[in-house]
This record gives sequence, structure tokens and C-alpha cells, in this order.
Amino acid sequence: MTATSIIPPGAADEDRRELVRLTTDLLGRHSGTEHLRERLDAGQAHDPRLWARLAEAGLVSALVPEEHGGAGLDPSYVSGVLHELGRHATPEPFLETAVVAVTLLAGSTDTAYAGPWLERITAGEVLVAVRLGGLTPHVVHAADADLLLDVADDGTVRAHDASDLEVQELAALDALRPLALVRPGTDGVLLAVPPAVVERARLLAVAGAACLLAGATRALLDQTVDYVTVRHQFGRPVGSFQAVKHAAADMAVMSEMTTSAALGALDAVEVSTPEDARRRAWAAKAYAGDAAARANVSALQLHGGIGFTWEYHLHLWLKRVMSLAASYGTTSALRRELARELVDRQRERRG
Amino acid sequence: MSDHLATQDDVDAFRAEVRAWLAEHVPAEPLPAWTSREGFDLHRAWERTLFDGGWAAVDWPREYGGRDAGLRRSIAFAEEYYRAGAPERINMGGLYLLGPVLMQHGTPEQCARWIPDVLSCRTIWCQGFSEPGSGSDLASLSTRADLDGDHFVVNGQKIWTSMGAFADWIFALVRTDREAGRARKHDGITFLCIDLRSPGVEVRPLAMVDGTEGFAEVYFTDVRVPVTQVVGEVGQGWRVAMSTLGFERGAVFGDHAKFSADVDALASVVEHRGLADDTQALDELGRVLVETEVYRANVYRLAALAEAGGNLDSTASINKVFWTQMQHDIFDTGLRLMQEDAAVVGDPAALGDAPPGTRRAWADWHHRYWYARAAMIFGGTNEIQRNIISERVLGLPLEPRPS
Repeated sequence: MTATSIIPPGAADEDRRELVRLTTDLLGRHSGTEHLRERLDAGQAHDPRLWARLAEAGLVSALVPEEHGGAGLDPSYVSGVLHELGRHATPEPFLETAVVAVTLLAGSTDTAYAGPWLERITAGEVLVAVRLGGLTPHVVHAADADLLLDVADDGTVRAHDASDLEVQELAALDALRPLALVRPGTDGVLLAVPPAVVERARLLAVAGAACLLAGATRALLDQTVDYVTVRHQFGRPVGSFQAVKHAAADMAVMSEMTTSAALGALDAVEVSTPEDARRRAWAAKAYAGDAAARANVSALQLHGGIGFTWEYHLHLWLKRVMSLAASYGTTSALRRELARELVDRQRERRG
Repeated sequence: MSDHLATQDDVDAFRAEVRAWLAEHVPAEPLPAWTSREGFDLHRAWERTLFDGGWAAVDWPREYGGRDAGLRRSIAFAEEYYRAGAPERINMGGLYLLGPVLMQHGTPEQCARWIPDVLSCRTIWCQGFSEPGSGSDLASLSTRADLDGDHFVVNGQKIWTSMGAFADWIFALVRTDREAGRARKHDGITFLCIDLRSPGVEVRPLAMVDGTEGFAEVYFTDVRVPVTQVVGEVGQGWRVAMSTLGFERGAVFGDHAKFSADVDALASVVEHRGLADDTQALDELGRVLVETEVYRANVYRLAALAEAGGNLDSTASINKVFWTQMQHDIFDTGLRLMQEDAAVVGDPAALGDAPPGTRRAWADWHHRYWYARAAMIFGGTNEIQRNIISERVLGLPLEPRPS
């Protein structure tokens, strides 16, 4: 295994470090490559046993308010958890259920409706899918979900039971991140959610996806470092050739910067102004998508032929970063939106 | 980890104080570039104003004339400084490199002797590391210093010395033990401070690609330097040099605000070139805007780690590769957005009725573009940084060295 001196997520704070350690340990034992292969062979990404473990460990309910059985933590606590889920390519809708849906339900003023769902989430009994207007036309893990929270671009939130959904599964690039088109049969339940909460849920989706990408990019780096260390040509490890080392070093730069941006974006949701938090979330995801795409190219290139095989595990991460990069805002869409806002802001500043 | 940078009352209060002082003191008209004698003297006068206000180095300990501001306040200071469009700092060698190095490796006498004049900008320092035959392979340096009583006698040549033509003192790496160096080239090197007015020193300014005299060659012929001007142990200068380079490569907490100000100027360029609805221009602007936001996040993360007592050694090279590429991207993007007018150096007319800030930014854009190119080379080229990252951070095997 790699012995890098890259600083792990959560390193500056004991509580967060502990949460990351707990996640790493759990996923290391139950969401390794064997698990991914098993899910792939089963043709079913979600594994109720793994989800139950995540729930038992208190990770699924980390953001659920205490009155509904959760830990009531602020979202910055789960940035490292998401990073680890991304690093393990864990095929579960954690971001959707435990972060985005929990934020919408906990922030809803319809407590009679939201409360029981939060309690079932805490118990690990249900999965919730989310559709965030233009950010996610394709719904992740829709076929597994017990509930869909459908957030329109105007901020309206409708809740639909699984029985109310017609789910058309798509040929997902990443079979362990299943996507579907979803058509609700009725108007569902109109859920009262204040606009600030809806905006916060959107920010968390975008910043959270950046955290998943940061972890997955780190996994591409680690696997590449491992491979070029053991693979010998011309009588020495290929990782001792400068052309290879420099490509790996650039991956490390991108991986580290993605991590800083993604973790920082989740922090900002709690401590910064909404405008600043939004800029940081959009920037983190825009950068993460681009960096992951470049890390994807280098990782496969440095692995050579073996990386192209179905048997070797690398492709699980190659596809994961491609799938995540295409969800919750593509790099070019987010860049342009940020650029347009900056031009407008500069104009306004002058009056 | 969390950064509470934006919420703490004391940081906010400090920020307000900084903002008020800057509003009152920052020159209304931008100073001429420091690469001319007139511009340099004006920048030096500005440094004196900063010093008199107590703002020369807010992060330094009080005993050295700083404010012991801590990382969060220091970052707030830098954010306000660049937002206010205040002049470029000219004593980087002294403030960011020599000062911290002396606090770490210097004797109390050396600190008392040199640090106050760094702070007030009475003494401008430059760095004497590179030689004509020793660039990336720095430890092969051959400027020699031979002991003669209580003095070293220095002979040799330094090159690419930034601000050499304007500096008063140089901190240089010299070889004091050639025997030790033959066994292991990093041994026998000494970190020596030299007054550039000493007999036998000759500074020859070098014109840079844009014609300005931003750097110089420094020749030493039998220059006598008291042994009391050695920083650290004689023969152990490599260690001191590495901590200097660590400061040069690592995060200068708060400099992200400088880049954000440049990207703001780019947004204004987009508007005044009529590109506000041009998808490709927005994409390019968005790219550098994203990079500056990512860099800001990295500065905050490293600051939080530093505050928690973490070791940032493994981050310096990663940081250097990223910020120098980002800086290049910013200035390169500016040239591309200016289209045909990129071939005309800094003509404000090319920006029509753009606000003064944008026209000002464009006026020395080319100069800063070349500086951005230089930054990918100085402080250890980015290729050397990639070697360091791959070997010391990622643990990849060393490249076989010629025996």
C-alpha cells in the first residue's frame, strides 16, 4: 500500500479526525474491492447490509437533528466521511439520503410529515433519492429509493413515495452509480421548505459531490502510485522514470487541491455568507470535475494495458469520477455561471 | 476541520481597523513600477508608511516589531491589503524569507541587528543562491568562502538575483568546506549574510525579457565577511537554505487575495471588450476564477492545519506548483481576452471606458505576465518540485543517480 505523506481530511480537528477514522475503518472492512465486485456481479449497487452498518455507526444520521435520533452535527462534519466514501467508491446514496434529503426534511416546517421520515432514515430503514432541477436531470439510486424529494428550480419541494414513481433505469456509465429518469404519477406531497434551506441543500449537494470526487481522485492517485512502484521495466520500477513521476506528481497536486476546495466548501456552508458559500461550492465542484478528468487520463495511461481490463479494479474509479463529474453541475456550466456572476458583480460595484 | 475565518468577532474588528487605515493611507494614484529608481524609492517610502502604522509584518512576534496577529488576522490583513489596491511589497527577501529564517536559525544578536531594518525597509535584502553553473542542482554551487582569522574571504558569482540592483544586503550560500562537499555535496555549504557595499562586491543589473532591471549578477572578489554573519552552523547551510525555500514555496497566507483582485480585473476586461455574452470568454474567466477560489480554500486549510500544530512540509511543493500555474493562467487569460491588443504593451486606451482600476491593472499586465513565467522557474523549478512531490510526498523510487 502507498505510504504517502499527504495530510488526511479532518486532520486539523480531533472530532472530525475521529469521524474519518471510523468511516475509513468501516469501509475498509466492508466496502473494499471484493464488495464492489460482489455488487457488480449481483447487478445491484445498493447493499442493505452495508447501509445498515453505516446507519448503526451513526454516519447516516450524523446530520439528523437530535430530537429525531441523530447527532445533529453541522454538515462540515461529514466532508471527511464523503471523501472516504468517494475513495472507496462505495455504491450507496449517502450524499442523497444522509446529506441532501436530511437537510430538506430537517429544515421543513411540515414536521408531522418530515419527522417520521427522519426517524426512519436514522434507523437505516429507508433510502431517499433527490432530484434537484437542472443540477440532476438523472436521479441517482432512484430504483432503490423509498422516497423521492423533487426540488424544482423555483424551490418548490414535492415528496413522492416509491409507489408513486415510474422509474426508467438508464444504461449508467458507472453501474455502481445507477441512474434513472423518474416520472411521478401524482403531484405528491407539497413539502414546506424555506428557500434558504432549499439553497443550502443545493450547496450541500454540489459541495458534497466535490468531496466524493476528491476521495475518488485520491484513490486514482493511490492506485497509480502503488502500480508504478511494483511494475518493473528496463530493470527498474517504472515509477522511477521522471516522465512517470511527474505525471503522478501532477495528480497529487490536483488531488490535494480538490480536497482543500471540497472540504472547505462544506465548511463554508456553515460559517460563510450564502453568496460566498455558493461561490466556494460551485468552484470546488468545477475544479473537482476537471481535476478528476485529468487524473483519470493519467491513471489509465500510467497503468498501461492492465488498466483496460475488466478484471483489474481501476475502471471502477475511472467510471465513478466520470459519472460524478457529470452530476450536480458540470465543470463548464459551473464555471460560466460563476464568471457571469462576477462580471455582473463588477458592474454593480461601479453602479 | 473548520475555518471560522469569516465569523470571529476579533478577526472582524481587526479587519475593520485594517480597512480604515488603508482607506486613509493607500496612495490614490498607483506608484510607478519598482523596477525604475523613482518607482523603487516611492515603494520604499510606502513601506516606511506601513512600518510607522505598525503594519509591516502583522504576523511577526511582538518582540520583533510585529503584532503577533496569528494566522486568521494575518490572512484578513492580506485580504484587505490587496482589496484596497495597495502597492506591491518590495522587501520580500527580507520580510518573507530572511526574517523568518533568522527567527528560526539566527542568534539573538543577529535578530537584533538585522530584523528591525527589514521591518522598516531601511535594508532591502536579496537572495544569493543560484550561480551560472548551479541552478536546479543548487548544491553544486562553487562560490567559495575561505576562513582567514575571524573573517571569511568570499570569491565567486551569483546570478538571477531578484532585486539585486536595488538591494543593500544579500544572504548567500557559499562553500566553506570543499573536502566535505566532495564526499557529499550538500555538506560544507554555509549560509552567509553579506553587505553589498563591502569592498570587492560588484552588482551588475541584468535586463529582463521586458527590458526592466528586475534582477542582477553579483560578483565577489576577495570580499571579507565577519564570521559573526554566518546564520546557523558553518558547513550546515543547506538546512538553513531548505527552510528558506520552504518559506518561498509554501503558502504565503493571504496572497490569494492578490490573485482574486487580478481575476476581478479580468471580469472587467471581459465586459469592456464586449465579451460578457461570449461563452468561451466566460469559460476562460470561470476557469481562473475557480482556480483562485481553490487556492483560497487551500490557504484556509493549511492555516487551520498550522494552527492545530500540523507539519506543512509535505505541502510546500504542491502549493508552489499550483499557485505558479494559476498565476500564469490568470495573466495568460488576460492576454487572450485582450485579443489583438495583447500585442501592445499596457495601453489603457485598449480598454475604452473601463474603470481606472482595470486600466491600471492592464498598464503593467505584461510585466506581471513575465513575472508569472519566472515564478514557474524560481524557488526551485516546477520540475524540481515534481521530483520532490513524487519522491518525498508520494514515496516513489528515486531515479538512479549517476555514480
